[in-house]
Amino acid sequence: MRNKLKVVALLAGALLATSTHADAEENFVSWLIYFGRTKEVKPVTNKQYQDECKDCHFAYQPGLLPAGSWEKLLNAEALRDHFGDNAEIDKDTLQIIRDYAVENAADKSWYKRSRKIAAATAKGPAPLRITELRYIERKHHDIPEKMIKGNKDVKSLSFCDKCHTQAEKGVYDNDTVAIPNYPNWDD
Amino acid sequence: MKHNMLFNNIIAGICMAALASTAQADEAALNLQLPSASGIYTKDSQFIGSRSYLLALNESDAAKDKVAMPVAVAAEFEPPLFTRSNAHKYLGIGTVLLVGLTALSAPDEDCENNCPAVSPPRQTSGTTHTSLARATAAMAAATVTTGLLYHWDDFHLEDGLSDPDNQHAMLGAAGALLMLYAVHKSATSAVPTSHAGIAELGGVAMAVAIKITW
Repeated sequence: MRNKLKVVALLAGALLATSTHADAEENFVSWLIYFGRTKEVKPVTNKQYQDECKDCHFAYQPGLLPAGSWEKLLNAEALRDHFGDNAEIDKDTLQIIRDYAVENAADKSWYKRSRKIAAATAKGPAPLRITELRYIERKHHDIPEKMIKGNKDVKSLSFCDKCHTQAEKGVYDNDTVAIPNYPNWDD
Repeated sequence: MKHNMLFNNIIAGICMAALASTAQADEAALNLQLPSASGIYTKDSQFIGSRSYLLALNESDAAKDKVAMPVAVAAEFEPPLFTRSNAHKYLGIGTVLLVGLTALSAPDEDCENNCPAVSPPRQTSGTTHTSLARATAAMAAATVTTGLLYHWDDFHLEDGLSDPDNQHAMLGAAGALLMLYAVHKSATSAVPTSHAGIAELGGVAMAVAIKITW
């Protein structure tokens, strides 16, 4: 019994010692020994990605869509008609942004919400809109339309950061939701 | 005895360090940066949408709307400290810690299989180990119950076994059942009976369940 406990203690110590340097995104072992929280979506860490996207809209974390979706969305032709707007950018910037998005896409992430999105989009064509993901639709289905489309301070599910107060940090849990004009909403 | 105390202290230290490392560094980070004066003229500033700014632009209609229906500014929102989701989380972590403490407090029994009757009769209640074991089983049951109540909408069988929430629910429930079975098995046996492995397996299953959705 004592020997078993010593082995467990040594393993726990080794895990703690290595976890401080581990990056949860590298591989399964890194994720396994990483003690930080990986429940949500990895926050945006690329300043150029953040700045370019934020010029027009909330900088959606790459972990919200699979790599196939980012490849469809982030190319010169697609950006000429980016959901009705011309969002063309120079070739070098586009390359940096696309590489970052693809490398950190949902199907390459160990963060829980990204893994759920990856599982939900594994079959069928890569979706273009985050709001059309079955997982996202399901998470929002019980919210009355008046709180989103009928809410002049929200208007659409696309504006994640209107209600998810920590969306920029990649946190989308229920506890951090505050729907504008509906302060008493509770899931 | 002295060595046992030292060993227990080391284990306790490791547990505390493990808990401490789970805290998010950015939650505690103190932002000492002062807002820049020019910041209020940028498009991201909350000042742009404020009533005084709209009035300054002679947009009195828009400003009136602002008065009629004040918008909750996201930055002002403080997530509640204690929520239903947090209750489930703390119960789960508590269960895993109790599993560890229960294992540490286990008496050394030489025989675990086909053991003869012992004299005096084996104690199945009243000891630290049995009390901790019952508390662990109760906490495990409470964890599963709160999980079912508060996270029912995260569990969808059609998403398959690769879905992390499905894995969490199944491993967590299996872990709790194993712990309950181990406690029941030991509590109803007059002779030493093998139950440690079952309980430890339950603890590991619950720990893995937590890690999957941590």
